[in-house]
Amino acid sequence: MTSILCPEIPNAGFSFENCKRNTLLQSKGLSLPKATKTGTTIVGIQIKDGIVLGADTRATEDTTVADKNCEKIHYIAPNIYCCGAGTAADTEMSTQMISSQLALHSLYTNRQVRVCTANMMLKQYLFRYQGYIGAALILGGVDSTGPHLYQIYPHGSTDKLPFTTMGSGSLAAMAVFESRWKPDMEETEGIQLVRDAIAAGIFNDLGSGSNVDICVIRKSGVDYKRTYEEANKKGTRQNSYRYPRGATAVLSTKIQNIEIETTVQHIEPMDTA
Amino acid sequence: MDSDWMNAPHSTGTSIMAAEFNGGVVIGADTRTTTGAYIANRVTDKLTKVTDHIYCCRSGSAADTQAIADIVSYHLGFHGMELGEEPLVETSAAVFQELCYNYRDSLMAGILVAGWDKRKGGQIYSIPIGGMCVRQNVSIGGSGSSYVYGYVDANYKPGMSKEACVDFVTKTLALAMSRDGSSGGCIRIGVITKDGIERKVILGSAVPKFYED
Amino acid sequence: MSILTYNGGAMLAMKGDGCVSIAADKRYGIQMQTVGTNFQKIFEMGPHLYVGLPGLATDTQTVMEKIRFRKNLYELRENRKISPKVMASMLSNMLYEKRFGPFFVEPIVAGLDPVTYEPFICNMDLIGCINKPDEFVVGGTASAQLYGMCESVWEPNLGPDDLFETTSQALMNAFDRDAISGWGAVVYIIEKDKVTIKDLKTRMD
Repeated sequence: MTSILCPEIPNAGFSFENCKRNTLLQSKGLSLPKATKTGTTIVGIQIKDGIVLGADTRATEDTTVADKNCEKIHYIAPNIYCCGAGTAADTEMSTQMISSQLALHSLYTNRQVRVCTANMMLKQYLFRYQGYIGAALILGGVDSTGPHLYQIYPHGSTDKLPFTTMGSGSLAAMAVFESRWKPDMEETEGIQLVRDAIAAGIFNDLGSGSNVDICVIRKSGVDYKRTYEEANKKGTRQNSYRYPRGATAVLSTKIQNIEIETTVQHIEPMDTA
Repeated sequence: MDSDWMNAPHSTGTSIMAAEFNGGVVIGADTRTTTGAYIANRVTDKLTKVTDHIYCCRSGSAADTQAIADIVSYHLGFHGMELGEEPLVETSAAVFQELCYNYRDSLMAGILVAGWDKRKGGQIYSIPIGGMCVRQNVSIGGSGSSYVYGYVDANYKPGMSKEACVDFVTKTLALAMSRDGSSGGCIRIGVITKDGIERKVILGSAVPKFYED
Repeated sequence: MSILTYNGGAMLAMKGDGCVSIAADKRYGIQMQTVGTNFQKIFEMGPHLYVGLPGLATDTQTVMEKIRFRKNLYELRENRKISPKVMASMLSNMLYEKRFGPFFVEPIVAGLDPVTYEPFICNMDLIGCINKPDEFVVGGTASAQLYGMCESVWEPNLGPDDLFETTSQALMNAFDRDAISGWGAVVYIIEKDKVTIKDLKTRMD
């Protein structure tokens, strides 16, 4: 029941109500704007009894750097994380959605979720949208059956691999892995290799940049090293460019005072007698 | 910045093969997966399990064939439970065909279904793009297959021994991979008999060579 | 020309010490023709919360109404003020719902948390990908110029008065190099106990 005074709460799922209008605008010669892409170098490797994931932190909107320090290693479950490349909104939203479904699944079954379950849900979701959801993912985690690493393409195909790279910097990073990866590496060695692969992406691929994020997943727990290395520090300013007060000509000023409400809450202890 | 290899659908430009011998079937495939000109995976497993005694060799779009294989193995798993015994290879092929035919406009999938059952022993069904289904004694598929039709026709003998058949499949795939740019890597072999599957990998360095060396 | 540049407009928000600023130009145009010089694209969503919607003017207003409706519903249901963080998530989810037929706005959220008064700024692309930096966010057709100004002019821990000067100068110097932004500007400085709204004197060409 919709009326002007009471708009309907929308249904779940995607809405296509603007599509017709947008195609019309497009046909008038106005181009559709580009969404934020992650550009990206993301990598993952299997080490002895664990997984190391890595990512750069640059997000681009066409050729502009839209975010200099974005988070590309997404949380899926306590034992599973996922790197995302491609359309930034798509990687963020699809990992969030699968993460919430898996949280419910874990509660329902009273078990730790498995990496293959996360992989299956992601690939079926992406396959349903036939590549229009532009999320290229590297999924890694440790479960009751050991460490697992998957790469997932936007069209919904997946591969289970011991080491993998994705995004525009994947070639640079893969070159590092192909020359130096070996089975059953120790944690420190694995982290160093992942750092070098991401650094190769940051310095050799224009779509990737800024810092190195690393996430180590083992049976004993997760070690998320946000900004493991600041590969590119901003130079310090020699001078202050601060404008003197009153430099800006003002036509009018309006001040809205806000009364701050302070509420003191008394919490009664629960009667457990 | 976005090159073709980032956005091109992941596809298994492939060489796949299956051949009957006395006692079962031998299946084989290369291990290369490409996105445009980039090799996305050099150790792919294109021999996908459907049931314990039925496997499929996938060619075409990786996403499409993986989705089909997942759906078919779900259906057959269910069917097997209802039946109380292993599903027939023929049934499996029929389910594959149903999907490939009904969705022929949106799928790119060429599949070989191979396996062993009590009724007819080792069998191979070929389901090319379009959703036709035909039983063959020996079948090849994927982009690399066009280079080796003559070799297969000349060298396949019905009722071969297991060893001879494995050797024949290996050599055929090696020839296909050497001529087809989108096939390569290692060779994966599976021998399906009444006892289930026996799998092996022939590494890139051990792939048979012919006159060129 | 992109749909986002049909009407023009420039906007930015900055973090200061216990305060945030959000500012925008006031031009409303149709491509190169200026139609109005008093167009509102920053909206009050709470005593400490402002949302800016640069982009296609029709969507600026549609999205404002839709988000205001959802915000009102949230505050009625939860019986508490909406926080900037929740407002950002709400907007992001609303925009992503239209992933395949988007609204042409790139929103900016600026405000103080209603409980802790912690400064918050963020922006997102037209399909709701949130970007939450510690310094400043920009949007609209002059974003390239704004990035340049902000990168050099912004410094940490600016008080409300200095934040006003920095924000205003960054905005004005940026949109003077954009033909379809300008014609007046408005700056909001949001502090714990007050919001100061200033109209700026700018070039009118």
